Amino acid sequence: MSDMALKQEDVRGEPPVNLWRDAWYRLKQNRMALTSLVIILALAFIAVFGPWLTPYDFLSQDLIARNQPPTWAHPFGTDELGRDVLSRVIYGTRTAFIVAISVTAVATLIGIVLGALAGYFGGLFDRFVMWFTDMTMSVPQLLLVVVINASLKPPLARWMEAQYLETLNPIYRNSIIIDFVLVFGSMALITWPPYARLVRAQVLSVRNRPYVTAARALGLSTPVIIARYIVPNALGPLIVAVSAGLGTAMVLESAFSFLGIGVNPPMPSWGNMIADGLRVWRNYPHLLLAPAMMLALATVAFSFLGDGLNDALNPKGQK
Amino acid sequence: MLRYILIRLAIWIPSVLLIVLGVYALAFYGTGDPIKLIFLRAPGDVAYDPVRIEAIRESAGLNRPFIVQFGNYLWNVLHGDFGNSLLSGRSVWSMISAAAPVSFQLGVLAILLAAVTAIPLGMIAGLKQNTRLDYAILGSALFLWSIPAYVAGPVLMVLLLVVLPSSSVPYGWGGVFDLRIILPLIVLSFQPIALTVRQTRAAVIEVLSEDFVRTARAKGVPEIMVALRHILRPVLTPIVTQLGLIMIMLVNGAIFVELVFGLPGLGRLTVSALLNSDYPLILAITIIGSFLVMASNLLVDVLYPLLDPRATHMRRAQ
Repeated sequence: MSDMALKQEDVRGEPPVNLWRDAWYRLKQNRMALTSLVIILALAFIAVFGPWLTPYDFLSQDLIARNQPPTWAHPFGTDELGRDVLSRVIYGTRTAFIVAISVTAVATLIGIVLGALAGYFGGLFDRFVMWFTDMTMSVPQLLLVVVINASLKPPLARWMEAQYLETLNPIYRNSIIIDFVLVFGSMALITWPPYARLVRAQVLSVRNRPYVTAARALGLSTPVIIARYIVPNALGPLIVAVSAGLGTAMVLESAFSFLGIGVNPPMPSWGNMIADGLRVWRNYPHLLLAPAMMLALATVAFSFLGDGLNDALNPKGQK
Repeated sequence: MLRYILIRLAIWIPSVLLIVLGVYALAFYGTGDPIKLIFLRAPGDVAYDPVRIEAIRESAGLNRPFIVQFGNYLWNVLHGDFGNSLLSGRSVWSMISAAAPVSFQLGVLAILLAAVTAIPLGMIAGLKQNTRLDYAILGSALFLWSIPAYVAGPVLMVLLLVVLPSSSVPYGWGGVFDLRIILPLIVLSFQPIALTVRQTRAAVIEVLSEDFVRTARAKGVPEIMVALRHILRPVLTPIVTQLGLIMIMLVNGAIFVELVFGLPGLGRLTVSALLNSDYPLILAITIIGSFLVMASNLLVDVLYPLLDPRATHMRRAQ
C-alpha cells in the first residue's frame, strides 16, 4: 500500500492520494467554484455576525427619510417606512441561512434514514419507499407546500393558542414560531426525496461489496454496518447534494416569503423584501434590486459550488 | 406494446388516486369543516347557532364519514365538478377554465422557446466539449438555472426602466401576439432551457462515442451532416424524457411569473386562493397541477419505446 502511494508521488509530484485531498486539489482548479465558496463564506459571516454589522436596527424607522435612494448614510437606501435597506438585507441573510441550514439538515436526515433502510433491506419496503418518493416528487413542490401550509396552519395556531391559555407562557403567542415551524416543516417534507433516492442508490452499490460481507461475517449489527461502512461511502455524492440543497432551500424560503406564506413581516427575508419592492418598483427600483441581487448572488454561488464539488468528488460521474 | 401500456396505466392510476387522497386528507383534517369556514366569514349570528350549523352540515352531507365524502368528491371531480369557491361562490371549474388558457399558451410557448434555443446550444456545447465555448454555454445554463423567476422578472423590468419610460414597461396580458408576452415568456423558459442544454450536451457526448458516428465520419460525411442526421435524432430521445420535470418547472414558474407580470392565469389564481384560504380552489389547482405532471410522465413512458425500440426489448430481457 505504501509502495503504491510512493510510486504515485513520484509520478505526479503530489502527496499520497486521498479522496478529500484529491477533491480539494480539483476544486482549487475550478475558479468559478472557488469564487462561489468565498462568496458563500462571506455571506455566512454576514449571517452569523449580522447584529454587529448592521448600521441600524432592522426595525428602526426614520419617517422623515422614507424611500430614499442610496446615500452614504444608507448605502442601499431606505424603504417606505424609512428603514435602512442594508440592515434589512443583512438580517435577511440571517433568515436565509437559518432556514436553509435547518431545512437541509432535517431533509437530509429523513432522506438518509429512509434511503439507507430501503437500500439495505430491499424488498417490499424498498418498493414502497421508492413509490412514495416518486409520488412526492411528481407533485409540483409549490402546490404541495401551499396545501400543507394552508391545512396545517389553522390547527397549529389553535394548538398554540390553547397552550397559551393553559400555561400563559408568552412564547406561545409568538407568531414567528408558527411561521418557522410551518416553513421548516413543509419545506423539509418536500425536499427529502432526492436525498433518499441518492442514499438508496449508494447503499445498493456498496451493499454487496466484500468489506460489507466481511463486517457482517464479523458479527457487526446492521445499524453499525450502515453507520460505519455504508454511510461514509455515500458521503461524496451526499455532500454535493447537500450543497445544491442549501441553495434550493434558500430559494424556497424566499419563494414562500415572496408569496406571503413564509417568514412574515416585520421579520426581514429577501423574499418578502422583493415582494414589497415589487409594489413600488416603477418609482423606487432600489428597494427591489438590493434583496434580489443578494438572493441571486447566493443561489448562483451555491449552484456553482455544487457543480464544482460534483466534478471534484465524483470524477467518474457523468459529465 | 399494448401490454406495456396497460402495465404502465395499472401503476399510474393508483398513484394519481393516492395523490388526490393525500391532498384531500390534508385539507379535510387540517382545515376543518367548510360550512364553519363559510359561516365564520359571514356576518350575523349564524356562526353561533350550533343547531342550524348542524342542520346545514347534514344537508350538505358533511357529517358522513371521511371515506364516503372522499368518494363523493372523487366522483364529482371525475365529472368536472370541483365544488364552489368559498370566497366568490362561483364554481371552481369555471374559475379554472377561465384562467387556464393564459397559463397553457404561455407554457406551450415556453417549451417551444426552450426547444428552439436549448437543443442547438446543447449540441454545440457537446460537439465542442471542454472548449471555452462549451464552458461558456454550460456556465450560462447554470446561471439561468439558479436565478429564481421572482428575481429575474423584476430585475429585467427594472433594467427596462433604463431604456423605456416607466409607464410603458410591459405589464399585464394581451394574448400571444402582444409584445407584453416577451418578458414573462423569457423568464418562464429559463429553467427549462438550462435543463435541456445540460441534457442535450450529455446526450451528445454519449452518442459521439457510438460506432455509427465513427462510421459516418469515416465514410466522409461532412461534420454538419453528421450532427444533423446521425447525432440529433438519438439525442432527442433522452430530452423528451425530461417532459415531466419541465412540467413541474412550468407549474411552479407560472405562479411567480404571473404574479410578477400581472397575468390572469392559473398561477395568480393559486396565489389568491392561498392568501384567501379558499380551500376548494387550492385543492382543485393542486390536483390539476399534479395530474398534469403525472400525465406527462405517463406520456413519456408510453412514447419512450416508440422513440427507442430497445427500451421494451430490454425490459423483456430483464
